[in-house]
Amino acid sequence: MRKFNIKDLILDGITYLFSSVSLILLVIIFIFIFQKGFSSLNLELFTSPYWSENYYASIPASNNTYLLKSTLDSNEYYSEKFGIALKDDFNARNEAIVVISYVHPDSPFNELTNSTSGANEGQIITAQEGMIVNKISYINSNGVTRSAGLVIKQMAEDTINTIEKSDQLDSVFLQTQGGGILGSLIATIMLILISLLISLPIGIMTAIYLNEYAKYNRFTPWIRSSIELLTGVPSIVFGLMGVLVLFPITSVFGASGTSILLGGLTLSIILLPVIIRTTEESLKVVPDSFREASHSLGANHSQTIFKIIIPAALPGILTATILSIGRIIGESAALIYTMGTYISDKPELLKGATSLAVQIWSIMNGDQPNFGLASAISIIILVMVLVMNIGVKVLTRSKVKKW
Amino acid sequence: MKNINNDSRKPNVFKTYQDLFFKSLFFVSALISSLMIIIIIFIAQKGISPFLSSYEYGQQNIISFLTGMVWRQDQAIYGVAFIIINTLISGFASLLIAFPISVLTALFVVKIAPKPIGYFIESAIEILASIPSVVYGVFAVGFIVPLIQTLANIFKVQTAGGSSLLAVILLLSIMILPTITSISITAIKAVDIDLEKASYALGASKTQTNFKIVLNSAKSGIFAGAILGLGRAFGEATAVSMVAGNKMFGPTFNLFDITRTMTSTMLAGLKETTGLDYDIRFSVGLVLMGVILISNLLINFVKNNIGKNHA
Repeated sequence: MRKFNIKDLILDGITYLFSSVSLILLVIIFIFIFQKGFSSLNLELFTSPYWSENYYASIPASNNTYLLKSTLDSNEYYSEKFGIALKDDFNARNEAIVVISYVHPDSPFNELTNSTSGANEGQIITAQEGMIVNKISYINSNGVTRSAGLVIKQMAEDTINTIEKSDQLDSVFLQTQGGGILGSLIATIMLILISLLISLPIGIMTAIYLNEYAKYNRFTPWIRSSIELLTGVPSIVFGLMGVLVLFPITSVFGASGTSILLGGLTLSIILLPVIIRTTEESLKVVPDSFREASHSLGANHSQTIFKIIIPAALPGILTATILSIGRIIGESAALIYTMGTYISDKPELLKGATSLAVQIWSIMNGDQPNFGLASAISIIILVMVLVMNIGVKVLTRSKVKKW
Repeated sequence: MKNINNDSRKPNVFKTYQDLFFKSLFFVSALISSLMIIIIIFIAQKGISPFLSSYEYGQQNIISFLTGMVWRQDQAIYGVAFIIINTLISGFASLLIAFPISVLTALFVVKIAPKPIGYFIESAIEILASIPSVVYGVFAVGFIVPLIQTLANIFKVQTAGGSSLLAVILLLSIMILPTITSISITAIKAVDIDLEKASYALGASKTQTNFKIVLNSAKSGIFAGAILGLGRAFGEATAVSMVAGNKMFGPTFNLFDITRTMTSTMLAGLKETTGLDYDIRFSVGLVLMGVILISNLLINFVKNNIGKNHA
């Protein structure tokens, strides 16, 4: 006999309501980030640098007409005199831009001469699809140089019409699109390699010491609790610690300030507790009979560890690695202090750079917050995190069923 | 027989040294790992340095630092008292929101939901826990902040474009929700089934058992989750600094006004890597560690007192 209880009903109702909150939150976050960032997400994002490069280049003379062999889309405008097609587009900041959509193989735009003063002056530049055309200078019928293009607010159609009237083009101001994540992607991979290279061996060996050598040692609780204390330290404090304590180490290698090496060293300390705990968990579930069998066959302790215990605990070690990579990808506060916030397109070990997460922070805190790009990088991070989550789940399952 | 003996005697010496070598290697690793915490002492030393007379950029007054209600980098006025209060307000307010939701979610997952649904929600919590803070920051800037702007328009109050104390609180509650939930789940799973059976035998309903027996028995673990969640709320830096707004004086009690937390202070206007303005961040970091430590002790105290009431 069950009594109908109004108080129970209310409590149950609240429980159902509250437990749906996390699910709803997750859905909202994913929908929001994907909706905001999806339009900025494309393959070029991965391969292009963040900073755009400017080229002032002079255009060689030409008297040909360049007939179009293939058809172009309706939004592309082609100049037969100069063999170039332009179209309207929007950049990552949603500003209207004019980009090159096609260059005829024989077009003079294939052999532009760089006239920007500097080391690259005189170099031959090829106009490529996707480059932004800010200005094209032409010589009109009176022999006067005039400008066409974005600088006088002409979009693709007007620009093409204007230069078609002229017989001779003088120069062009080109800009690469930029807004990519190539630099941060490389820096993130470097970070992952450095920090895993340091923290995995130390972490795994610590876990082995704690579980295989010093299980009931007097110092073990002391070691363990000081490692546990590390877990509670906010990552921004680790950032402070990195600049303070680890910077002298990196300066030995020649770093003069924030650097990827410093970020990696700092991260490897942050990762230690995770690696130690996860590895130890997996060592604990290796049955004692394995150890006894190995010893009874004449193996010593270290042989047992290397040939029996580590292979048996491998899924756990792999889990620790994946969790660490997830942590590295997501870490931002500590890296802002140790790697700086300047987005570098050519990251070097001993120079500052940004990881993907810090690039987001950098973009959002800049003078012109670029929400689309930030969301696009967020999608990339979210997808990575999701994949790793599934990976850990699969690994944990395979670990359980073995014995 | 003889053969075997010879074989096993020779490597024995080698094996002993091998064992010794690896044991020392593993021990050194463990020592390195445990010594990392000592590095924190260096932060303490650096954080205290601006208040010593030997400080190269001019000695600061520690009293005015700890009690000051104004923080202006441009005028070199550094008062951290209102920032501590702001941090406490946003941290405890977010705990207040996230704690009941987390505990009931954990209860639902472990005791009430059918297994597939429970597993589903648990996975959702795990994913929420693994979303990096900077992504939460992007979400907060794009979703929570405009939401608060709309709210402010409805209530006819002023906000600085939506960056506000309320935004920080909502953001932090979302971020600490998975932390508290996953630890509560572990705690509730560990509750002895016999206790529940005894409760049923005494005629209690399932809901009564869940709320009075299960939650009370899992209390210790649940509060450990709360401590961890609060620590995360205090220490969260990047996401908070994206929506806090960095007010120069305070403390902020108005939900729609901008605020300044210790972490947002540490990240704000980070340019040079020398000088007082940089060193003082270490002092703030030191204060942050102190606040986390004291609030942990406080929650432990609360936990013990709740135990007395129900015993």
